[in-house]
Amino acid sequence: MPNASDATAAGLRAPGKWLPLGAAGLLIVAIAAFPSLAPNPYILSSGVIVLNWAVLATSWNFVGGFTGYISLGHGALAGLGGYATGLLITKAGIPSFVALLVAALLVAALAVPIGFAALRVRGASFVIVSIALVLILLLVFQSWSSVTGGSRGLVVPRPFPGMLRPEHHRVFFFLYGGLLLLALATWWLLDRSRFGLGLKAIREDEDKAESLGTPTFAYKLTVFVVSAAFTALAGGLYALWFGDLDPVFQFSVLTGSYIVLMALLGGVRNLYGPVLGAIVVGVALEYFKVEFGNSPLHLVTTGLLLGLVVMFMPDGVIPSLGGLVQRLRKGEQSSIREMTAADLAEQRKREREGASS
Amino acid sequence: MTLTTHGLRKAFGGVVAIDGADVEFRPGQVNALIGPNGSGKTTFFNCVTGMIKPDAGTVVYGDRDLTGRAPHVVARAGVGRTFQLCRVFPRMTALENVLAAVRPGGLLLGLRSAHRRSEQERALSWLTRLGIEHLAGAEARTMSWGQQKLLELAGVLMAEPATILLDEPAGGVNPALLDRIGTLVRELNAEGRTFVIVEHNMDLVMSISDHIVVFDRGRPIAAGPPAEIRADERVLGAYLGV
Ligand SMILES: Nc1ncnc2c1ncn2[C@@H]1O[C@H](COP(=O)(O)OP(=O)(O)O)[C@@H](O)[C@H]1O
Ligand SMILES: [Mg+2]
Repeated sequence: MPNASDATAAGLRAPGKWLPLGAAGLLIVAIAAFPSLAPNPYILSSGVIVLNWAVLATSWNFVGGFTGYISLGHGALAGLGGYATGLLITKAGIPSFVALLVAALLVAALAVPIGFAALRVRGASFVIVSIALVLILLLVFQSWSSVTGGSRGLVVPRPFPGMLRPEHHRVFFFLYGGLLLLALATWWLLDRSRFGLGLKAIREDEDKAESLGTPTFAYKLTVFVVSAAFTALAGGLYALWFGDLDPVFQFSVLTGSYIVLMALLGGVRNLYGPVLGAIVVGVALEYFKVEFGNSPLHLVTTGLLLGLVVMFMPDGVIPSLGGLVQRLRKGEQSSIREMTAADLAEQRKREREGASS
Repeated sequence: MTLTTHGLRKAFGGVVAIDGADVEFRPGQVNALIGPNGSGKTTFFNCVTGMIKPDAGTVVYGDRDLTGRAPHVVARAGVGRTFQLCRVFPRMTALENVLAAVRPGGLLLGLRSAHRRSEQERALSWLTRLGIEHLAGAEARTMSWGQQKLLELAGVLMAEPATILLDEPAGGVNPALLDRIGTLVRELNAEGRTFVIVEHNMDLVMSISDHIVVFDRGRPIAAGPPAEIRADERVLGAYLGV
């Protein structure tokens, strides 16, 4: 009979400790080195934007990756985080970074009723509800102009008034880097936890998970709130960095679509998938912005790419590449030996005979 | 604990699937629920386990009223079930499938590692008991139908339910496996677990059950020990479609 340590190797594809840690080390070095390597402040500011995407995609993956619920509304949660941060500073006079934290808590609290309504429906219906959330918030923030500034925008005071631009970018690059590592560590912790296993069971078969005793609704709601809090932190940090919020950009379905594209492209079952997707798509977006400006081309390309990824790489690039490497390395040999019922019967018979003789 | 329903009713549009069923399943026994196709057996399971809310009537388990409660509440009350079209988590390994049945108490407990040794050993011992331990590392979707049925049962057992509802455990399995399932149910029952089994294979039903309830058009038409049921004319009538 096999013992539990065999099972650890075979039964649980525990992602292993070394690969994620090695990747974390690489990521930390890359984040630490990038600002000094960036040739000019423009590239550095693009780096901040890409890291913002990486945090957003990783935050989204708490819901999308674990439970399989595809939210197109996460852009709006970031927008809420941004506006809450800005308003707490301008209207309530709270210090910038305290405002950022309080805003994240407020958005997390707001995520409870939002999740309560949205997580009752599954599949395509959930996607549509998440889009509705964005559109409703866009309307609210545009028309409630006495508070939000409406279409004129909301100016958020800089947290470091005297600081020069390049230094400002550098500081925020590191702040985003820290937030990204925190989000990744939390995702990793959940991924290996019993709670995480329950969430993944929801992704596989929600009714079955319920019937095995998992309180699926409470699980979904909890992870949605965690996801919203990280998303709001990214949005709030963006408000502090960029200093100007416009409802059209903060509450845009396009933002949510980019996040989904990044996560799916990189791979939602992998800790670093969304980061990888954010780097690829985020860099491409910055490039296109320079080459073509803001055009409907973005929308078309995003839609097209999303379709291609869903059809040809449902698990994203990391597993696709991993699978390729594995095939090259192992040749034809498959990683798991499958047994037919006949093999099984034969083996049982041998065991019985072995036991009786 | 006794599982009873009173006046249970469920209609889908115009189709009355359960029609005021009063049923009692006895603790510590292997109970069977038989009846022609479409007589409402699966719907009855779904109403009892909370997958479907009944239109009327009550479901009582021991001294707890489980009517209309969520499936996870019913599961935690000690009633486990399998599905007619066997359901496993296709992209999890067999071991993960079984571990997924572990029910974290609070959130803090839920943050503990799913890889804990004691739980893994317990999960593995269920796989071993069902004879599929060699597949611990295989994804469920790569397993054969029979192996998936065994895996589903292992998952249910992991949650340590006192009462287990099986919906057609012998459906689509080969004769060797059929024997094994029969023996297994008997052994698990001897260890104190109560069973309610929906099954079409009459040889299996007659050989393993202590108490049989016969359904026809959404309500019980007979109940008793196998010998009695075998001789009952109403049962023969229902099966012959009179
Ligand atoms: N989800 C459903 N929607 C509509 N009709 C259903 C549904 N489930 C079952 N039925 C109907 O209810 C009746 C009982 O079905 P079922 O409980 O599956 O019977 P059994 O398991 O005894 O074969 C059948 O007429 C079936 O068509
Ligand atoms: Mg049925």
